[in-house]
Amino acid sequence: MVGATALSLEGLVAVDADVVRLRRGDLDALSELVTRYQNRLYRYLLRLVREPGEAEDLFQQTWLRVVEKIRSFDASRNFDAWLFTLARNLAIDHLRRIRPQSLDEPLANSWHSETVADRISSKDHTPLDHALAAERRTEISEAMAGLPMVYREVLTLRFEDEMKIEEIAQVTAVPVSTAKSRLRRSLEQLRDALEARYPGGTWQ
Amino acid sequence: MSEHDRIRELLALAAADALTSAEEKQVAEHVRSCSACSNELEAWLPIASELRRLPTPLPSSWLVQATLARAEAKLAEQAEHDWNRRVMIVVVAFAWLLTMASWPVFHFVSGRFGSLPLFSDTWISFAAFTALGWVAGGVAALMLAIRQRGERRLA
Repeated sequence: MVGATALSLEGLVAVDADVVRLRRGDLDALSELVTRYQNRLYRYLLRLVREPGEAEDLFQQTWLRVVEKIRSFDASRNFDAWLFTLARNLAIDHLRRIRPQSLDEPLANSWHSETVADRISSKDHTPLDHALAAERRTEISEAMAGLPMVYREVLTLRFEDEMKIEEIAQVTAVPVSTAKSRLRRSLEQLRDALEARYPGGTWQ
Repeated sequence: MSEHDRIRELLALAAADALTSAEEKQVAEHVRSCSACSNELEAWLPIASELRRLPTPLPSSWLVQATLARAEAKLAEQAEHDWNRRVMIVVVAFAWLLTMASWPVFHFVSGRFGSLPLFSDTWISFAAFTALGWVAGGVAALMLAIRQRGERRLA
């Protein structure tokens, strides 16, 4: 635990140093930040827009926005929250422009489970464990993809990015109490969706 | 709302590790004595666990390189913009200095150096000409700024 905290602090210090260098126009600092955040940011954007091509385009736009706005970034703020807020604003603008209905309505079909499954790096050991775990994840991925955007967003920020409620509230620009109730409702909707899709399954 | 109902609403958040320490304590105490809530909490745990273990979709390998290439161009553009702004400030300051200096020079040439400026036709023409130059320069700078902003928006 102490080791993990030390590593996390080390990461924060490295990010702060990269941010300072980027403010001076250092491209290497940007390269380190992009590399450090690439998986988390791409995953977050993909969860929001559900289309890999659109997520990749938004990923690039987000970093261009970072370059543009880095001088106005308040160094006392959390860079993660700032970065994800920029990405979120771009994703919401994009969805409003391209598919306004997608901000509220669930997607009828599942998201790209094949693409995701292709990229699974499994930690399960036996073939049976692997198959069962993969099946459960596919089920949960599909159910999650069917939720409205605000619920997908809060689930990915809490469970995949491991953000605290306060950080989620910062990224989504809502009070902490709203972020908390949104998280609860998203879990309830996810569970309802799982139970409806797989009646009598392991989710009940 | 009864204590039981209030705790039941917290169970999903408990599985998500999103409770305050006081709420955690209340939930822990309640589920010890309430089998219904204990079972409910048990039902939430595999969902939370699987959500934490969802596979991370990886971006295409070219994405980072493409992003950096675009960002490099953006940084270069910003550096050029900063340079242009600095040059503009120096030029404007120099122009002001020149204007201020030209007044005593004009007085000297017209033989009135050391005396208060007389608002003769020549002097008014000179002042009007200078003011016109500044207004024209200001309008040109404003139009240029509007055009640059439009270009940036289109880009």
